[in-house]
Amino acid sequence: MLRFAGAHLLAIIAFAGPLARAEPPPAPAAKPDQAKPDQSTSKSDKKQVDCLACHGSDPTATMDLPGGEKLSVYVDPDALAKSVHGSWSCTDCHTDKGDYPHDSAPFTDRRSVTLRAAKLCRNCHSTDDVKTQNGVHEQALARGNLAAAGCVDCHGAHEVRPPREPRTRISDTCARCHQEVYATFAASVHGKALLNGNPDVPVCTDCHKAHEIPKAKGGTFALGAPEYCGKCHTDPARVAKYGLSTAVVRTYLADFHGMSATLQRGEAGAQPSDFTASCTDCHGVHDIRRTHDPDSRVFQANLVKTCRRCHPGASDDFPSAWLSHYEPSWKRASMVYMAQLFYRYMIPFMLAALVLQIGLHIYRVVVKR
Amino acid sequence: MSDEMLIRFSLRQRLEHLATMIVFTGLCLTGLPQKFYEHRWAQLLLHLMGGIDRARWVHRFFGICLLVATILHFSGALASMLSKRIGLTIVPNRKDFTDAIGTLRYYLGMAERPPRFDRFDYRQKFEYWGLVAGNVIMLLTGLTLYFPTLVTRFLPGQLIPAAKVAHSNEGLMAFLVIIIWHIFNAHLNPDIFPMDRTIFTGRISRHRMEHEHPLELARIEGRHLPEEPASEPVEPPPGLPPPGQG
Repeated sequence: MLRFAGAHLLAIIAFAGPLARAEPPPAPAAKPDQAKPDQSTSKSDKKQVDCLACHGSDPTATMDLPGGEKLSVYVDPDALAKSVHGSWSCTDCHTDKGDYPHDSAPFTDRRSVTLRAAKLCRNCHSTDDVKTQNGVHEQALARGNLAAAGCVDCHGAHEVRPPREPRTRISDTCARCHQEVYATFAASVHGKALLNGNPDVPVCTDCHKAHEIPKAKGGTFALGAPEYCGKCHTDPARVAKYGLSTAVVRTYLADFHGMSATLQRGEAGAQPSDFTASCTDCHGVHDIRRTHDPDSRVFQANLVKTCRRCHPGASDDFPSAWLSHYEPSWKRASMVYMAQLFYRYMIPFMLAALVLQIGLHIYRVVVKR
Repeated sequence: MSDEMLIRFSLRQRLEHLATMIVFTGLCLTGLPQKFYEHRWAQLLLHLMGGIDRARWVHRFFGICLLVATILHFSGALASMLSKRIGLTIVPNRKDFTDAIGTLRYYLGMAERPPRFDRFDYRQKFEYWGLVAGNVIMLLTGLTLYFPTLVTRFLPGQLIPAAKVAHSNEGLMAFLVIIIWHIFNAHLNPDIFPMDRTIFTGRISRHRMEHEHPLELARIEGRHLPEEPASEPVEPPPGLPPPGQG
């Protein structure tokens, strides 16, 4: 339904004109992002009243588009009043609709109307607009995939509300198009907790971002997992109460995979097929489960299978090559710990002995000949 | 210094040193940035080499070169030893221990002269055997890291991270020892500054032999050196300060 919400915009474009006042609409605030136009509430109320006289009265009102579709031109006055823009004048967004009959833009179908909304939003939300230009949705649109989301597909048109109230609204919004991913996520440790109202778990945008959404496939995004997983998993305030270690990122980066990921991220020519394992390669993506969940990919009994995805022929003991995010100690990975200990003392001792001998040599030859 | 030149190293030995030099440099250049990958200089170096994955392949290539060189060295040494063409002049013995103490005494001014050395002094032996031991560790751990799935088919998995710790630390130690010890002994040592060319030319002056390897020189020339007075502590006459401290 949201996909057609933008049609409302055209509704106003099409019909609000004659009722609007003759005075020019206030110029949209140009400089600071999201700055509100300087006008009194009573004024905008008045303007809305003018427009809503036509657009807010008949829920069945439509207009015919050249493509043959019918476009609803109704705006729900209650929804508009409750929205974050509720105190604004219609022409703050619909800047070109001052007169009646409206100068109807040449839209052939409802989707074009919806997508055109970005042009109205960016008048104020320029920062988000720039970010969106770098996001996958805008890039898909540019390639001609008109099903990709534009501003009002996610935010709504006249009923825009704060996106994080409640937080589950975000994942619900994404789910409208990404149902399969949502179903997987909802069954994961994060998704289940989110649906129980747990504020510590991520919603879609915490990893994927809201506007500057990076391409998820191809490996580059996965290589960044230590960063976005680490946002929460290195924060003791967030994970300690679940008995989770905050050393997960540190131990990962100290190992072969973490080093490779760090370096491959910076390489323009790196081939995705060469990309090393990141958080999501072992733990899963939307289907992450507790490590002691028998269905988890990193559950002890499933580890070999997970390793074999990249290391074909891995033996049953191969997974113990990975220390499961533990730091080596006498109790755990004693062999590794002993090697660390040996060199921690051996290297300084060796160097000190050699430097001492060199120092004595020079002393004898130069000072005490 | 018009001086007679003696042959010290064979062509094969000189080539082995040259190969070790090149391979060691290649391994350090491709290996150390992997250990210190978080640092800007390391990332820049790896970038110049065409990225981490290419650097790894170059590292493995040099590693295999080292493996081949090591095998060739030991098989050659073994063959020479069996055919009695060389003596066991590089094998450490009791004299190296007393030589080390004697050198220390000399440095501290408790002896007039340093001990007299044979073909290799204890420092050279230390460096050689250090290199041998380091090579063995680096090759074993390097191959373990190269073929982790194969190794864990026969050995415990924990060997892989242990090998990584040993490989990266042993590599760093080798690098530092070479930087500090070898550069000093082969370049900055006041006796040979600016550079000891013997390992490249194979030749050494008789003067230096008298100075650095008197026992070997005597052996070559069929002489018998008198017992070494300087390596023994010099007993000062009663009532006088010990020599070297006056």
